[in-house]
Amino acid sequence: MPETPARAITAPDDADTQSHTPTHMPTTNRPINMGKTVADQASRLDGIAKVTGRAMYARDYYMDNSLFVAFIRCPVGVGRMVSADEDAARATPGVVEVTIDRREGTYAGQPVGRIAAESKTALRRAMRALNARWDAGECKTEIEHVMMPPPETSEAAQRALAGADHVLEAVYSTPVQTHSPLETHGAVVDHRGDRAIVYSSTQGVQAAADGLEDALALKRSQYEVRCEYIGGGFGSKLNGAGREGIAAGEVSRAHGRPASCFTDRDEDHLDTGNRPSSRTSVRVGFNNDGTIVGGHIHSWGGVGVARGGGGVDCPSGHYNLGQMQAGNESVQLNAGAPRPFRAPGWPQGKFAEELMVDEIAAICGADPLAIRLRMETSEARKEMYQLGAKLIDWNSRTANGSGRGVTKRGLGMGGTSWRRFPARAEAEVVIHRDGSVVAKTGTQDIGTGMRTVAGVLCAEHLGVPLDHVDVAIGRSTLPIGPGSGGSMTSHNVAPAMIAAAEDAKAKLLDALADTLGEPARDLDLVDGRILQRGEPVMDFAQACAKLPREQITGRGEFSRNGGAQQHLGEGTSDGVQFVDLSVDTETGVIKVNRVIAIQACGRVVCRKTAESQIIGGVIQGLSYALFEHKMLDRNTGSMVNANLEQYKILGTDDTPLIEPVLWTKGQTGVRSLGEPPTIPTAGATACALLNAIGAPVRHLPLTPDKVLDAIEEAQP
Amino acid sequence: MNRFTIATATSYDDASAIVKSDRFALPILKAGGMDVVDHLKEGLWEPDALVDVLRAEGGAAAPIQEHREAGRSSIRLSALTTLDEIATSTLIQARCPALAQSAGSAATPQVRNVATAAGNLLQRPRCWYYRSKDFDCLKKGGDRCYAVQGLNRYHAIFGDGPCHIVHPSNLAPALMVAGGVAHLTGGDRDSIPIAKLYHTPDRGVRDEHNLKPGEVVTAITLNAAPNSGFYAIKEKQSFDWPLVMAAVALELDGTRIANARVCAGAVAPVPWMLPAVGQALRDVSIDDDAGLKAACARATQGAAPMSDNAYKLKLLPVAIRRAVLKAAGKEVE
Ligand SMILES: Cc1cc2nc3c(=O)[nH]c(=O)nc-3n(C[C@H](O)[C@H](O)[C@H](O)COP(=O)(O)OP(=O)(O)OC[C@H]3O[C@@H](n4cnc5c(N)ncnc54)[C@H](O)[C@@H]3O)c2cc1C
Repeated sequence: MPETPARAITAPDDADTQSHTPTHMPTTNRPINMGKTVADQASRLDGIAKVTGRAMYARDYYMDNSLFVAFIRCPVGVGRMVSADEDAARATPGVVEVTIDRREGTYAGQPVGRIAAESKTALRRAMRALNARWDAGECKTEIEHVMMPPPETSEAAQRALAGADHVLEAVYSTPVQTHSPLETHGAVVDHRGDRAIVYSSTQGVQAAADGLEDALALKRSQYEVRCEYIGGGFGSKLNGAGREGIAAGEVSRAHGRPASCFTDRDEDHLDTGNRPSSRTSVRVGFNNDGTIVGGHIHSWGGVGVARGGGGVDCPSGHYNLGQMQAGNESVQLNAGAPRPFRAPGWPQGKFAEELMVDEIAAICGADPLAIRLRMETSEARKEMYQLGAKLIDWNSRTANGSGRGVTKRGLGMGGTSWRRFPARAEAEVVIHRDGSVVAKTGTQDIGTGMRTVAGVLCAEHLGVPLDHVDVAIGRSTLPIGPGSGGSMTSHNVAPAMIAAAEDAKAKLLDALADTLGEPARDLDLVDGRILQRGEPVMDFAQACAKLPREQITGRGEFSRNGGAQQHLGEGTSDGVQFVDLSVDTETGVIKVNRVIAIQACGRVVCRKTAESQIIGGVIQGLSYALFEHKMLDRNTGSMVNANLEQYKILGTDDTPLIEPVLWTKGQTGVRSLGEPPTIPTAGATACALLNAIGAPVRHLPLTPDKVLDAIEEAQP
Repeated sequence: MNRFTIATATSYDDASAIVKSDRFALPILKAGGMDVVDHLKEGLWEPDALVDVLRAEGGAAAPIQEHREAGRSSIRLSALTTLDEIATSTLIQARCPALAQSAGSAATPQVRNVATAAGNLLQRPRCWYYRSKDFDCLKKGGDRCYAVQGLNRYHAIFGDGPCHIVHPSNLAPALMVAGGVAHLTGGDRDSIPIAKLYHTPDRGVRDEHNLKPGEVVTAITLNAAPNSGFYAIKEKQSFDWPLVMAAVALELDGTRIANARVCAGAVAPVPWMLPAVGQALRDVSIDDDAGLKAACARATQGAAPMSDNAYKLKLLPVAIRRAVLKAAGKEVE
């Protein structure tokens, strides 16, 4: 990342200085709760464990006497297994199990059987000895191979088109993006007959446990799923125990030995989900001033062998688009099925929608900022756009394609939002007589900072410094916590944890009141000190030592309709992003210079992890905009770039200065933050590219070949 | 990965002897190991021995040296000199900037710290059909080049096949324009010019170079080419190979180009000399942008792009022009 001196952005005069908190890296952000929280400068609780390698990920569990499990997979898009030497595979030293369940496949990477062996080497030798031979059939790898034309345009939409000054017809498309977590998908199961421990790389320890009863042949009380750390999730690890977990469970149970089943990198690309490809066809009518009066938008999502899941959020609802007809279809292909991927459907939709808006602005000669302010349905985003325009210096923007010189600069923007999905969360805060505190909830930290957020909330509402609190998460035996998907972990855990901390505090003060013979209402716990009518009388440890029993447990719970509603507060997850980039017009290579990401997320519980979440979202969005592309060979249906070299992901030299700006106006309750920051980035990047070169590139990724073609087309 | 022995060679002759002896069925030379290990991990190679040449000079590689003789200067690298040492050598930067630039723009700092000069020249192509175990392509003894009907955006725009890889080495084009020579042991010759090191796929598709089994590169020499430059166009700036690259060595008479040698990379199965461009550059002033452009446009004569890679036709003249400008000491984009 480029080195930049820490400099404070001075707030624009007319903006409410309390409503935003601009940041430069190294960050100098000041959330609205600055000075009121223990977390202004709090660092990730598990940061040191992670960077020193002390953190144990599921994949790190190499148990004594372990078996290893791998799937036999169909190597082509449509295949029939014509021969396989199962005897030879079984005879391979170290092999304990070879099963073939089916002999055909409808996508490359599809599991058709499995092998279990005492080492990874034995596994590989057995795969080789199996020598499965496949006949390949004709396969469908692209939406265009299969899609049906869009349905008829309704009369109302036709009228809108007929009455418009102009009509834009365009097709936008996005490729398949794979989750590519550093830690691939899988689990290690240690089955000991009447109990088991499952080390799973999962975004939901509870859901993973739910799916394992049969595989383990145990009661829920007899096993525990653990996920203390996870090397990236992004949605693809929301599928319960997953086939890998179930396979490891079955093998471990059958052989009475630990079993490990993790995908290799290529298998991870092929068969652990993805963001489906999309194609969005628009016919949109608009007037000379850029006002959109209506039309027809139809999209297709390429969902591989899945039945659905190809939604594309265009129209997004962020803009008033007049009489707009919209439809979406999922298209089946010979490819792996999608799974939820950080804001499913949204980056695809916002890429099409934001670029469409800028194309309309270009045709009308209108300012994309002005046009958005007119159409925008959210007052918060309108304000954010105005602030962002100042921060990125929108006034310095030149007309599309007008830059002189070989390198041309462009600016673009896009918006985001996210709903609040309620889920059940239970929390406990235990205070021990020795003054130690444990905050418990059965959720997990997928890198978002959940562990830290839970600790901060407990510390703050109990009234002790953060370092007094241990956080226990990542185990299915803890009180129920939400899965880490839909950006719903923090905001559902928060009310429960706050309630638990307050309950624990009340119980502590009650116990203390008894001992001291003072009324509990005169006591308080603030910053680790007991106050009596506002005067410090003892510290927290001394108070705990007076406890009549070994521990006190405070409890809290939150659900859609019950419990802790008073801690919900106000807030949204709206946001906007601005992208500043340069294009080398001779080579078509794009260099992103700077991204401003303004984001609301309710109350900021931990500034650093909140900013990190925004920065990560932007990085993933830029990577999607510029590089990521799962490519299937059109003849065989096999993936040609099933690695992390040819499947390209944004690297250090491609990463711009990213400035997260936490929007705090009107934000008092904890809200979603995981997904929204990755939604607008690709769209804003495509808009900035249009501004730089004067022509749209309507197909992701924005690679030099497409940029050069667009430049050529733009030339009169 | 299969089990294998690591045989540490104490000299290049020792390495050659181990390879030629019948001690191992499938010994493979390993220097930095960057490309060798990639092959092992993908299951493309299953050697029973890696013959490690990293200690062939007793530990450290011989330093980069310049020899001057009868007014001519030549520079000598060890086979084991790393890309980082080449990129940061003030001698190479001054005497053959194209080579320093080619090494400095390759790969990543981590790779450059271990990748050796000989290994870089002899690394295998990045073609995704070659690199994936799912495709039994010509290079692996199969019966077809999957790129022809398949996906070929990173493939060759020159050459008649039957295989359409591009040669991936950054160093090779730079050494081609600087009269590079690979010094050998273990065979019946002492050296081979880089210009003769590679063969086109029609002369053997299973390998790219002309070394015989047991022949080991010991050193590389090149002529000083103080007015030389290298330019790579990269889709991604970290951790990636170039889309197109060009190395140029000029003889300048003031601002007039008196002579030019031009070699392109990542456009053909071998480093691709472009004599017609060299010819056209003659007598053009390095300040005459239109003249340079016209000369560089000749680069694509005879090219035959595949279904997905015609964009390389646009990139190649740009890479060459920028390499020319760098060779003349000018700033480029
Ligand atoms: C992410 C990444 C990006 C990269 N980008 C680039 C790039 O942009 N440009 C580029 O040019 N390269 C690039 N590379 C490739 C890298 O530069 C080469 O893999 C490296 O130079 C090989 O050198 P080595 O010493 O590791 O060779 P090894 O892997 O040890 O050997 C490579 C080959 O050379 C043979 N060999 C080695 N030494 C000798 C010898 N003395 N005599 C005879 N045969 C020998 C080996 O048998 C083997 O076949 C990249 C690599 C990575 C991982």
